[in-house]
Amino acid sequence: MKIGAPKEVFEGEARVAMTPESALQLQKLGYDCLIEAGAGKAAGFSDAAYKDAGVEVIRGAAALWKAADVITKVRAPNTTEARRLTKGKTLISFFFPGQSEELMDLVNSKGANVIAMDMVPRISRAQKMDALSSMANIAGYRAVIEAGNNFGRFFTGQVTAAGKVPPAKVLVIGAGVAGLAAIGTATSLGAITYAFDVRPEVAEQVESMGAEFVFLDFTEDQADGAATGGYAAVSSPEFREAQLAKFREIAPDIDIVITTALIPNREAPELWTKDMVAAMKPGSVIVDLAAEKGGNCKQTVMDEKIVTQNGVTIIGYTDFPSRMAAQSSTLYANNIRHMMSDLTPEKNGKVKHDMEDDVIRGATATFKGKITFPPPPPKVQAIAAQPKAEVKEQTPEEKRALETAAFKAQTKQQVILLSVGAIVLLGVGLVAPASFMQHFIVFVLSVFIGFQVIWGVAHSLHTPLMAVTNAISSIVILGALMQIGSGSYLVMLLGALSVFMAGINIFGGFMVTRRMLAMFQKS
Amino acid sequence: MDFGFTTAAYVVAAVLFILSLGGLSGQESAKRAVWYGIAGMALAVVATLIGPGSGMWFLSLVLISGGAVIGWQLANKVQMTQMPELVAAMHSLVGLAAMFIGLNAHFTIGYVDGISGAGGMSADDIGSFAALVAHKTQVEINILRVELYLGVFIGAITFTGSIIAYGKLAGKVKSTAEKLPGGHMLNAGAAALSVICLVWYFNTGGFLPLFLMILAALFIGYHLIMGIGGADMPVVVSMLNSYSGWAAAAIGFSLGNDLLIVVGALVGSSGAILSYIMCKAMNRSFISVILGGFGGTTGPAMEVEGEQVAIEAEGVAAALNDADSVVIIPGYGMAVAQAQQAVSELVKRLRDKGKNVRFAIHPVAGRLPGHMNVLLAEARVPYDIVLEMDEINDDFPDTDVVIVIGSNDIVNPAAQDDPNSPIAGMPVLECWKAKQVFVSKRGQGTGYSGIENPLFYKENTRMFYGDAKDSLNKLLALID
Repeated sequence: MKIGAPKEVFEGEARVAMTPESALQLQKLGYDCLIEAGAGKAAGFSDAAYKDAGVEVIRGAAALWKAADVITKVRAPNTTEARRLTKGKTLISFFFPGQSEELMDLVNSKGANVIAMDMVPRISRAQKMDALSSMANIAGYRAVIEAGNNFGRFFTGQVTAAGKVPPAKVLVIGAGVAGLAAIGTATSLGAITYAFDVRPEVAEQVESMGAEFVFLDFTEDQADGAATGGYAAVSSPEFREAQLAKFREIAPDIDIVITTALIPNREAPELWTKDMVAAMKPGSVIVDLAAEKGGNCKQTVMDEKIVTQNGVTIIGYTDFPSRMAAQSSTLYANNIRHMMSDLTPEKNGKVKHDMEDDVIRGATATFKGKITFPPPPPKVQAIAAQPKAEVKEQTPEEKRALETAAFKAQTKQQVILLSVGAIVLLGVGLVAPASFMQHFIVFVLSVFIGFQVIWGVAHSLHTPLMAVTNAISSIVILGALMQIGSGSYLVMLLGALSVFMAGINIFGGFMVTRRMLAMFQKS
Repeated sequence: MDFGFTTAAYVVAAVLFILSLGGLSGQESAKRAVWYGIAGMALAVVATLIGPGSGMWFLSLVLISGGAVIGWQLANKVQMTQMPELVAAMHSLVGLAAMFIGLNAHFTIGYVDGISGAGGMSADDIGSFAALVAHKTQVEINILRVELYLGVFIGAITFTGSIIAYGKLAGKVKSTAEKLPGGHMLNAGAAALSVICLVWYFNTGGFLPLFLMILAALFIGYHLIMGIGGADMPVVVSMLNSYSGWAAAAIGFSLGNDLLIVVGALVGSSGAILSYIMCKAMNRSFISVILGGFGGTTGPAMEVEGEQVAIEAEGVAAALNDADSVVIIPGYGMAVAQAQQAVSELVKRLRDKGKNVRFAIHPVAGRLPGHMNVLLAEARVPYDIVLEMDEINDDFPDTDVVIVIGSNDIVNPAAQDDPNSPIAGMPVLECWKAKQVFVSKRGQGTGYSGIENPLFYKENTRMFYGDAKDSLNKLLALID
């Protein structure tokens, strides 16, 4: 079958759904790859590069849509493109079926199958094809870069000959994929980074990225993130108040705010109010990654950069991934490629659209003339914080009590062991003759010494220990030596055999131990 | 020659043996300690030859030298990966020798009885041991019987048990746990028969009960070890080690020789402690290991979610080139693939680049206690970067890359996360806390315990499929 990637028709879109690299991987799956001439140009991939990778370059969008069985795209198709689909063709792209029912109906009426990359369920198995995450990652990174571009100072604090420069303070609101990427970028540029999220369980991730989590003086049972597929849920009015109060408190200190808070299928919540913007220092920058959904700051203008009266820059671009087209095309093409390899379990270049597969089912919007959106809830839940078991901090008294108890138990155990041992010894002594007891005492003491000595042996020397104990247990040779001089021939024969075998063991055991020990070297 | 000298020599030898074992507490002192052992053994043998064993000293020397040549050959020829087999084989020799010596004691009793009527015997005529026996009272003879009976019993179990262990370790016997129909009832029956024979023998002193017991004990040794699977071998080998010690001690009792008792007790307790450490490392009781197989689960195992993501050598090499700290976890798979040289070379290259490379050794990794340490030492990995589980477990969160080579159950997070898992509670190496984990493994599949390993499904885990040695050699070429 043939996989084709047309040139994106959306204005300003620089990404492309196939790169020369991903094409090579797709060919390994058994597919032939097609690309519309000039499709990769804006992302920095020339037609020649595609040709070198074995991709057939086709002139004109119409021809490509006709030739390909599977069409991979970045943006959802427009009406013209959708009309080009025919029965049996599969379209893989961002589709947002929840918000574009007309388009879905149109495609469905054409009989084409649609796999919406934005509908890939958020389970760990599907992470490699989660295009929303890979795009969000880029957006988060780019948000910091854009902020820096519009921010008149260093990120990192410096002490120079000309004077001291304080570090920039960055606040990231919403610690999803984009938020975490923004945190990582900001901290690596040297800024002091704060982060906030309504899901307190992400605090650990935030801190692992080097930012400080902004905790609220507010306790409330938050909805479990797993129940909503790993996304944030709407919070209560009280919680919102506490949150805004905290932001208001820190707003004057913050130089750069990056907001990424989105709730699925809703308008973006307002988190950075007008008075907070007014409280910020001139020259500060706000990057609103939620601009497409109305913005976390209501002053944000979609796709534009504005400067407020008090000199705060608010950036409302929505095309961050497209601004880094080479990077985002590479990642998106890889997401597509992973999706294709799941669709091609046999690696024979034939799509096997398995509606039993959780991931494929979840992402499919239309299939064989039927609308299959919305999908049933995934069988596997997203990873979420396990309710943490309460580890009670022990008071010093409790600790001491525990220690005393342990000590007592130990003492008791030892006393019991000793008494039992003593009684057994006495019992043996009552019946056994003195000559036996003499040896028995030696035996008991030796076991005792053995236990004391062996505990000290290093774990790494256990094999030499076994070899050397093996060698010295051949001390039975003494017995054989004493018996070999016996008058009985049978005894002599068995004795001689024993001497021989023990001889092997003594030399073998000691030699091999020595050999092993000689190998242990210090660096 | 007076026996006073012999006794003095025995005391010195015993002290030397204790020093020899005690010296194994550190790698450097161990090199000296082995010489203490050799000196102790030489002293004991010489003292016996010129003392109580002087009767046939020439023949004895010839036999010892013959044994020495073979032992020498074996010790120098053996591959370090074959150490478990060698140790098991040597145990079987000790077991067999102990059995013979015990039998000899029995025959000597009969012999002494036979000639005591004739009277006029001296140590020169019948050998020193028989003379000793001849001076015993009836009670002492009875005790002697019990002692030699025990010596023969333990010796026989050690003999067949070690042979089977050898076969399993050398791959000559299937390493899966197999039992005859009847299972442990057969063992119990054989043990009961041995007890009955003991009473019988104690009362009559005849050869038949002794012979029956030998058959029963040989069977127990065979059947017991057949029922224990491959990965439990560390426990089995140390248990047999312990048995060979107890057999020597029992022989010491029957011969009235304190040095044998001392050494037997030392070896016996050493093996017992090793078995205990191994069992503890698997969080299983000694009994459950001996009874074979993993215990039943208490509930359904946790669902493992995600998928195993494979990776090629290029990806592993890139991660290694970027990493600052690397931990390698070797297991039996490394020994099977003979990959220790490749591992060592990899470590050398990474260390030359200034990376912090260390090894994490689980107590039951491999088929013998301390097996991995010896293999790595053979491949010239310095021992101070080879760490024990307790020493390194806290360092995993700060580790960039962990490479797991041929181990499975000892890195299974289910032991901590899943209370229903058969290995729940077993101490494991917490490698999943590292930033990235690569698992070198021949293919998909479960480990010895037969349980799924959630580590392989973790997001930070990549599966590096293929023979360990080939995989590492491929990797070596890519480390610049």
